[in-house]
Amino acid sequence: MSELVNKVAEILNAPIDLVQRSAEARAAASGKSVDEVLSSWAGGESIESTAPVEETPVEETPVEETPVEETPVEETPVEETPVEEVVQEVVEELVDLKNESSLAFISGVLSIAVFTFVFAFLIPKNQSIRIVDSSLNNTISVSADVIKGAEIYSELNCQSCHTQNVRTLIPDTQNGKVLSNKYANKALIKNIGNIRLGPDLSTNSLREPTNNAQWLGRYLTDSSSVNREIPHPNYEFLDDRDLDYLVTYLLSLGEPNE
Amino acid sequence: MKLKLIPKNEQELSKLFVLIFPLTLLLSSLLTFLKDSYFTFANLLPNNQVFNYGFLDRVSTKASFGLVFATIICLTFAYLFSKSLGRVAVLFPLLFLTLLGFIGTEFLDIILSFFYQDNLNITGSISIVILLKILVAFGLFGLASLNLLAKKETTIFASAQFIYGAVVFYFLSLLIARSELIVFTDSLLITSLYTSTHIYVAISFIYLAIIHFLMTKPIDATLFSKTLSSITFWGFLFLLPWTSYKYYFGSVLPNWLENVSIYLSLSLIIPLLAFAVNYVKTTQTREIDMNKSANLMNFSVILFLITNVLHIVSSFENLLPLVGLTNFQNVISHGYFGSLVLASVSLSYYLIPKLFGRSVKYSLLENLIFGGFKLTYLFLLVNNFLIGVNSGYSWNAAANAGSPAIYGEGFNIVWNLVGINYSANTFISLLFLGVSTLFFISIIRSISSGDITTVEEMVFSNE
Repeated sequence: MSELVNKVAEILNAPIDLVQRSAEARAAASGKSVDEVLSSWAGGESIESTAPVEETPVEETPVEETPVEETPVEETPVEETPVEEVVQEVVEELVDLKNESSLAFISGVLSIAVFTFVFAFLIPKNQSIRIVDSSLNNTISVSADVIKGAEIYSELNCQSCHTQNVRTLIPDTQNGKVLSNKYANKALIKNIGNIRLGPDLSTNSLREPTNNAQWLGRYLTDSSSVNREIPHPNYEFLDDRDLDYLVTYLLSLGEPNE
Repeated sequence: MKLKLIPKNEQELSKLFVLIFPLTLLLSSLLTFLKDSYFTFANLLPNNQVFNYGFLDRVSTKASFGLVFATIICLTFAYLFSKSLGRVAVLFPLLFLTLLGFIGTEFLDIILSFFYQDNLNITGSISIVILLKILVAFGLFGLASLNLLAKKETTIFASAQFIYGAVVFYFLSLLIARSELIVFTDSLLITSLYTSTHIYVAISFIYLAIIHFLMTKPIDATLFSKTLSSITFWGFLFLLPWTSYKYYFGSVLPNWLENVSIYLSLSLIIPLLAFAVNYVKTTQTREIDMNKSANLMNFSVILFLITNVLHIVSSFENLLPLVGLTNFQNVISHGYFGSLVLASVSLSYYLIPKLFGRSVKYSLLENLIFGGFKLTYLFLLVNNFLIGVNSGYSWNAAANAGSPAIYGEGFNIVWNLVGINYSANTFISLLFLGVSTLFFISIIRSISSGDITTVEEMVFSNE
């Protein structure tokens, strides 16, 4: 049979496995043997289909790579009528096989999106909440002034340079405890930051001189008067009340919560 | 040059986005320059809420990853999507309004940032703007799905696949950005997944959609393998969303999530190789020689490959403490975004004769633009890479040296290492601003005074 398949594949200029599958599908549809189908395609009589081709299971076979449109049907060496008809039939079948389902594609993309959302987001999020819920000391009390200060911190986008994210890695442990179960107001926990360009502020109030309100106030309004070498934005446009809120917030950072 | 107020089809609509793209790029480069020059020229600037590093950083991010990206999505959607499906878009008037809304909401986000900092600046997740964005993105997702279902071609072309993937994950990123924050870890989860879905997936997929078009039709080449493009598509779609968590290695994120992120980042090599082989083999079959615009496409592919290689290399466990929480993360984001910008510039030059009926002359101006764009992104990547590695190294080795009770004692060391790179960033941004201005001039010049040529005919219909 392999010789027959090879011959048909050569005539049709199509991959061998594809011809084999097409022949099997046609054989199933017509009630004849695969050899008979192949013989007819190789130059014998054509096989009449007794069942719709669409019902054959072969349609699901992924064969996108076959350049069916470019099949040089006109160039086949066998010019006789039966073979031409058969070539046409097989080409039609190949096109059917190649017809990708939009629904399948959309379902695939949406499945991956849902999978990502569930496994990369919902599950770890719920896991984190459970860890916090099960811990003994899982809340911190914050004053309204601290929340106000946290909002100003966020509005000024201080987190574009500063982090509040101590890792379990050895170099980071000098920064203080890992606040793994910190439970806080929303406004507070958005200030975590991603880029550690400026110093990490997670233990700001435990260090000198940043544990000093006066020093902080001076640094935030005129940083060059404290350190000329390091550029830091000046927030002298903040009114006194907002500056106080910001300082209060910075002084609240560093309370251990384990 | 005719630009209809209400376009009748995708080609007319594409004209609008070809014109808007250089404008948005100019705005983005101006804001980036203002941000990067802050450290160098802060003393010369008026000290107020606008000329402030934090604000400029936020607004320039919105301009680049929001507005410019939205314009490019609209351009590719209007020109490539229906073309790939072999038919005129279903519900075209609705699509036209949705695409305008897409750009409109991103522009609104930038404008409102100037006036309502107090209300909108809490990462934008509780603002009304993000709700509008979700609405528009959902509309685009629905229209994209409808158009896919109504396709005429037997196959779904690679460009349409990538655009659809980008739209779905852009929509997902907006939903994630609006998620409720309950515990400390949520902030990291949301930031990571938002970055990976919005920047890594959506931006790189729009880029891949453009490249799969540019590497075939304009140079008369045949796609080497649909299978390889499928591996690229499904591989990146599955892997990229997970790859941002690794930069928080050792943080309060669940350990399994960090480990999965590391392994899946390493697996990026599979779709990356599939894409590289497909690109090289496809461009080898070209019938037309590559012009200067096509060379820019080549450079964008190199940039994309370098970005992904850095993304993969940074997954090694002993490198992660060094590159995590540093500017290295910006290298990856800017690498993807830069590839997209370069490919879009190349696409714009290809579309001018097709849409406006004007040929493009590659004169000295265009040479300057292509060279300038290449240098800008090359320098940007190298410079941010150096900032990332140097600051990571100094933070690990020296920043906290001395008494832990003394704050920022070692920070002078960090700044001494990276200060010069921040000054260099100012000049890179200036180069980017200059090149963007020239690009805008070149596009206007080509459209208004280029030699008249044949406009591309639409060859598909709804029948």
